[in-house]
Amino acid sequence: MNEETILKVEQSVKNLSDKSCRIYFLCQDTKGNAKAGVRMIYDMALTLKNNGFNTIIMHEKNDYYGVESWLGEEYSEIPHSCIENQDLKVSPEDFIIIPEVYGHVMEQISKLSCAKIVLCQSYDHMLETLQPGTSWTNHGFTKCITTNEAQKEYIKDIMKNVSFDILEPLIGDEYGPKTLPSKPIVSIHTREQRDTMKIIKTFYLKYPQYRWITFRDMRGLSPEEFSEYLKDSFVSVWVDDTSGFGTFPLESMISRTPVIGKVPNLKPEWLSDDNGVWTYEQNNIHDILAEFIQNWLEDNINEELYDKGLEMGKKYNDKELFTEKLTTLFDSYISQRKEIFESQLEKIKIEEEG
Amino acid sequence: MENLNISVVLPVESSKHKGFELLFKSCITSIINQVRTCPKRGQCVEDIELVLVHSGEEDLESFINGFDFSGLTTNIVHNTGDTDFCSQINLGVEKSTNEWVSLFEFDDEYSSIWFKNVSKYIDSYPDVKAFLPLVVDTDEKGVFAGFTNEATFAANMNSEIGYLTNEVLLNYQNFQTSGMVFKKSLFEDFGGFKKSIKLTFVYELLLRLTYNSASIMTIPKIGYKHSNMREGSVFWDYKFGSSPLTQDEVSFWIDLAKKEHFFKEDRNIKFELGEV
Repeated sequence: MNEETILKVEQSVKNLSDKSCRIYFLCQDTKGNAKAGVRMIYDMALTLKNNGFNTIIMHEKNDYYGVESWLGEEYSEIPHSCIENQDLKVSPEDFIIIPEVYGHVMEQISKLSCAKIVLCQSYDHMLETLQPGTSWTNHGFTKCITTNEAQKEYIKDIMKNVSFDILEPLIGDEYGPKTLPSKPIVSIHTREQRDTMKIIKTFYLKYPQYRWITFRDMRGLSPEEFSEYLKDSFVSVWVDDTSGFGTFPLESMISRTPVIGKVPNLKPEWLSDDNGVWTYEQNNIHDILAEFIQNWLEDNINEELYDKGLEMGKKYNDKELFTEKLTTLFDSYISQRKEIFESQLEKIKIEEEG
Repeated sequence: MENLNISVVLPVESSKHKGFELLFKSCITSIINQVRTCPKRGQCVEDIELVLVHSGEEDLESFINGFDFSGLTTNIVHNTGDTDFCSQINLGVEKSTNEWVSLFEFDDEYSSIWFKNVSKYIDSYPDVKAFLPLVVDTDEKGVFAGFTNEATFAANMNSEIGYLTNEVLLNYQNFQTSGMVFKKSLFEDFGGFKKSIKLTFVYELLLRLTYNSASIMTIPKIGYKHSNMREGSVFWDYKFGSSPLTQDEVSFWIDLAKKEHFFKEDRNIKFELGEV
């Protein structure tokens, strides 16, 4: 019995040592629609794969649409596996990374002995499918990767006995400073679509002299369209009270399109007085926008706003830095896991000798 | 990019207009300011040639001779022919010596950022042959009355935002050429304003240029401040002058522009109201 266990544990140690252990990322099916949260999962999986890790995207249904249409072929090269299928293999040395919204899946896999990690990009959704009074730790999830310090502090206060690591999302290569002058287009992105309509309609009623200014709802676009539209625009409007990070404003800043935004409930670290036009009141967004338009039409916007925005955006556009942080993080997870298996192995061997 | 040389065509027919001296001074200052406000990024206007076309009226000539045009290269043209607005402009464009020309009126003002933006857009859109400013119209007291040329940006107007097309013009007439910066070759190739067309001579020219596939774009920057109801101006005269145009006449001139824009030359159209 012990010999068999020793062999198994030795195999686990070997798999961890040569990084052949599986790292599963559970991913939601967006049915071909672009979503920043899903992009981050794929960026993590692809970067790890390209650096010698054995990553697999795990999805719920067999009719999973995939991300090729909006993220590109490169991302479809990551192996995919469906939970519905019986051939899903999970060994103790493997890792499963579950987005915060899948509380019910956490419950379903609580008995699995692999390493379980929560990827919490949106604190606002973390309790959605958890039973009242239940924490991640109840399902064996004691590690959490989140996207910024403010979010970490918030979650830490609720999910006790969980250790946290921070990994900021990577802003894609397709975003960069515009090369042509901006058009009178406002890119708008709000958490709720009704807020988008409310802002647009109110603006046109309050400022009919600007009815020729076009608003573009940035929902459901491919990253290429998204980046092109951002470059076209002369300003972006961002309202997302429960944002966990805020990739849209950063993508906008990298495009040299200034942001008018409402400060979210959790103020992200990148948000500063000089890299955008920020307000705590949603009801004055129209007035700020009208004033901004007037100044833009008169070339009266301070260059510093563009420069500071670009400077900040670029910090999240560094693929090398993202790769280094991510691989270091997973190397540390693997090495911690390996230590556990090695100590277990030692114990069994001592028992055996005894 | 190379620095830009522009000829500004300014027609003046008389100095007897109300407030002429003050208006003239402001308009010249706004031209001079185009050079002064060159940005640091290298988008700069090198030289401005002021092509001042005047009627030779005695008081006007002596006023012009005594005026300080420092900062501008002046090209004073004494027009001995027709001194209507269209003929004055056509002559001015003909006498201009630069590749790019802008149309100007003495009661208006360029905004200080206009030529700097034109320069930037010429660099960004080399195929565009004419750039319209976003015009701020003011009433007789100088109060904001609205924008003109902004319709090229309206989402429901145009497939390509910012461009003025023949299709857009056939549905919407309210565009202005005051402040426009265009290649002189456009007038040479497709003709200038037609003096026999009243009221819609600007509209007809734009229809003709777009019909001939000239690429025209509005720059989304306030480039021109236009006093659209100065007493004694061409359009004031059409609306409030001794014999204001009737609605029938307005419709006639719009329809006429739509018919005439296929022809390069002015066909000397006459409008006469017949007996009912």
